[in-house]
Amino acid sequence: MPRGPRGVVGDDRPVIPVFGYVILAAGLLLAVWTGIQAARRRPTTDAQMVGAIVVEVALLVQVVIALVQIVGGHQLSEPVTFVAYSIGVPLALPLGFYLAREERTRWGSLCLCFTAVVVAVMVLRLLQLWQAPVG
Amino acid sequence: MAEHPTINQQSDAPDEAPPTGPRRILIAFYLVFAVAATARGVVQIATKFDQAPLAYTLSLISGIVYIAAAVGLITERRWSRPLAWAAVGTEMVGVIVIGLLSILDSTAFPHDTVWSRFGAGYGYVPIILPVLGSMWLWHTRPGARRDD
Repeated sequence: MPRGPRGVVGDDRPVIPVFGYVILAAGLLLAVWTGIQAARRRPTTDAQMVGAIVVEVALLVQVVIALVQIVGGHQLSEPVTFVAYSIGVPLALPLGFYLAREERTRWGSLCLCFTAVVVAVMVLRLLQLWQAPVG
Repeated sequence: MAEHPTINQQSDAPDEAPPTGPRRILIAFYLVFAVAATARGVVQIATKFDQAPLAYTLSLISGIVYIAAAVGLITERRWSRPLAWAAVGTEMVGVIVIGLLSILDSTAFPHDTVWSRFGAGYGYVPIILPVLGSMWLWHTRPGARRDD
């Protein structure tokens, strides 16, 4: 990782943004995957449920890393909003997961698809908040 | 229309059963918006209430309306459907009135609520949602002919 003398914003802490974009991509992938499943009028597959769990675990890891860095002194322009998003974002997929398990039809797939989109949008917003210049 | 038979051995709800599926996706939508709008309202009121008291109060109210709709959809009591109707109706009026106000009087009305510009900040879902909600409530009303 190239390290500039003064460093652009985010330069000295690339872990969160890169990891965040990976989760964002994974969330979109899960949304497309379950979306196709819903369009085919099928309930979610076991592989999709495992995929949702993997994305959720990655999310939780990211949230913990972010909160640790905030406690460690990372400055944010909107700390309250960031923390609120951090708490909110891990709630979405369990909801979709639960509904997809209860509803073994295409509507269950659509529920998981929707919550995966929500995760992707919220992760994008988290990344924006993380990288927003302080001041 | 006959759905394909599910081979899944876990399947305990046959597809011919009353349509709980659309209700579940509505519940997902409403719960997500309940959390989003309420949290937004609380954060705005807690951190910068003085900047736009009206808009931020509206944020919180919209959150409460979404919570009411979600409760009305999840529960199956005597008051569930009236509650859902009231919440969906309030939501429809709210998103149209706030949407119009935010466009006609954009300087006086900060773009800071879920319903501003008809919910453009949330992919226009806030204006689609009450339509879907009322369609579902209408289709599943007691005594409705079931011809599907």
